[in-house]
Amino acid sequence: MIERIVITGMGVISAAGLNVPETLDAFAAGRRNVGAVPSGVSPLDFPVFAVRDLPAQTESSPSSRTFLLACHALDEALTGAKLGRDLSALRVGVCMGTTVASQLNDMGFYTAFRQGGDVPMEPVEHFLKSNLADAIAREVRAAGPCVTVVNACSSSADAVGVAADWIRAGLCDLAIAGGADELNRIPICGFGSLSVFSKELCRPYDRDRQGLNLGEGAGLLILESEASARRRGVATSVFVAGYGAACDAHHLTAPRPDGSGLETALRTSLAEAGIQPQDVAFVNAHGTATRDNDKVEGSVLARVFGPDIKVLSTKGFTGHTLGAAGALEAAFSVMALLSGWIPASPGFVNRDDEIPIGVVRERTTVTGRYAVSTSLAFGGNNAALVLGRDG
Amino acid sequence: MNIAGIGVVGTTGRGVASLEAALNRGWTAPGLVDIRGSAGERLPVYAVPPEVLSDKTVLAKARRADRFTRMSVLAAWDALQDSGLAASVDRTRLGVIVATALGPHATTFGFLDGILDFGDAAVSPTAFSHSVHNAAASYIAMTLDVRGPTLTLTHFDFAFHEAVSLARTWLAANRCDAVLVGAVDELGSVMQFVCGRMLRPAADGRIKPFDFSVKPESVPGEGSVFFMLTRDNAGAAYGRLGAVSRDHSAVRSTGQSVQLLDACGLAKNETAYRTALMPGTLTAGYAPLFGSVMTGSAFHAAIAALMLKRQYRYAVPVAENPHGLDLCLETGAAVVDQVFCTRLDCAGRRGTLHLSAVR
Repeated sequence: MIERIVITGMGVISAAGLNVPETLDAFAAGRRNVGAVPSGVSPLDFPVFAVRDLPAQTESSPSSRTFLLACHALDEALTGAKLGRDLSALRVGVCMGTTVASQLNDMGFYTAFRQGGDVPMEPVEHFLKSNLADAIAREVRAAGPCVTVVNACSSSADAVGVAADWIRAGLCDLAIAGGADELNRIPICGFGSLSVFSKELCRPYDRDRQGLNLGEGAGLLILESEASARRRGVATSVFVAGYGAACDAHHLTAPRPDGSGLETALRTSLAEAGIQPQDVAFVNAHGTATRDNDKVEGSVLARVFGPDIKVLSTKGFTGHTLGAAGALEAAFSVMALLSGWIPASPGFVNRDDEIPIGVVRERTTVTGRYAVSTSLAFGGNNAALVLGRDG
Repeated sequence: MNIAGIGVVGTTGRGVASLEAALNRGWTAPGLVDIRGSAGERLPVYAVPPEVLSDKTVLAKARRADRFTRMSVLAAWDALQDSGLAASVDRTRLGVIVATALGPHATTFGFLDGILDFGDAAVSPTAFSHSVHNAAASYIAMTLDVRGPTLTLTHFDFAFHEAVSLARTWLAANRCDAVLVGAVDELGSVMQFVCGRMLRPAADGRIKPFDFSVKPESVPGEGSVFFMLTRDNAGAAYGRLGAVSRDHSAVRSTGQSVQLLDACGLAKNETAYRTALMPGTLTAGYAPLFGSVMTGSAFHAAIAALMLKRQYRYAVPVAENPHGLDLCLETGAAVVDQVFCTRLDCAGRRGTLHLSAVR
């Protein structure tokens, strides 16, 4: 019987910061490191949250930006968990979420293919070595279960849930779980075509919200059985208490209007954690700032937790990081549980009459032991994670 | 886990009966396609015929879906129908896991066409939303009204193995009462080009699973296979799908066993299969029927399930046997207690699915 799935390390990288301390600084200061789409990515003109100072890495073979982001967060997470880069002596699984990194979408290769003649095959060879979870597993010499979850915007929340299930099932003792995604031409063009971008800074849950801003980043958690952490002599006070997932079965890109899928995911996660809604100190909402997402999600959160629940959206600091979002926000939730405060939700000014809750406008003290992080995704995926802290 | 139902969409057609007919018929020559962008080069392929994907009733909610999704929806639908549980299963307690190596790449390239032809600001939102890897799972959920967890995963070598393992975990954790778990991969024109460049197409159209060659030959294929898995015996009850082993030493062969080898020419070197053989066990491999597919383990799992349910063996479609293996050479009734489906990746790492008969 596995007692608990504890979190012994975490790493984050996004426009808000290159690690946990930098991110907390940005949260405290309300700093929004937004900019234009980096040159060479796409000529479209929307504000985005890019990681400006990604340290270069030269030794690893697969070197996509997504992989570099993941490796950067991985190092912070491993250091926090008192682990090195060689985990071959442990029973380790790797579960990573992504969107862009799962596609063979190299524009140079495809342009040459369309033109005929000499087509470079290096991008294909590179792609075939770049399955994100597999690449991370090779980095750390992990030999346990290995999966890249491609559930669109809930990918890494689901990855954390899957990894926790692996440990409970005894498939591994320790798992690297999270997600990564880079700013890339495909989602920039794609979300642009869906008319869900805001031309201004995003305003999650605000009455006048105009849409989302894309971002990039990575969030990784080191999950372990409590026994494994104890064996390694690593103390921690935080854990994954519950996970729930449910599908809308409604539409490819729009959430089910009644939010029943998200509600099922939330209630499942709370039941798994063995807690009641009133035990939850705050919710880190998916909060993309699209009209549909915030309206449906806000209604469900009010229905499950009541209208006074403290809610925040960190998309105003990071943009929507797609496959990285769920794990990043799970990590942010853990950071808040440990530090005792949640930041103001950037961009939120006016309550929307159609949404029965608002997000916090100022830095807010939180005292409870549990936090919930929600993710809604293309395809109707809904995921909820309950993160806990010892009292 | 109990295999309650199976759905198959492949070059041999749609449905378990079409797969069984192909097994009884034996090897048939692949089709030949012109490799786009090449100077008259042709590639042997096992493609899914277009008419197989034309069911307007089942695909009513997937009218705009691509081939990748259509293959998935039809196989998932058939698995549920085949189980006989369609009317009784609680859709809030039904999960979906889709395994794929390459995802809907033809749609991704179609989206790139839009960027190249019309510019970044004038691409098709439909092409974008369908290029997302989990579009197929979404359409399965919409078509079958699945309200439980749905998850799409990728891995180039063991995607189906990981999906089965996860289904087992979900059932054990009581996340679902049943899981539709399957695999899908397609062979679009770009991938045909890639296969022509990176693989060694079999000149005679025959995959030779027992060559264990340092330079194996392939015939690229495509398709989708889904399984309706339940915790306890229910539905059509093909057999039990047990442990997913990544370590050969953990597998125990007892009774009348058959080992199915996934060797299909996709690995650069297949010599490692020799060390993966289970001594004294009847050996078979059916990739010559459905082609070289990264998620081909799912086809072999379906064939294994048929062997167990029918208590039947099928002669291997290509019997070239340079290493003198004890091959399954005859089709007919036989006691089959267990089937092991083994796949190796390029590095020689092993994944084995263990299926056993319901007694």
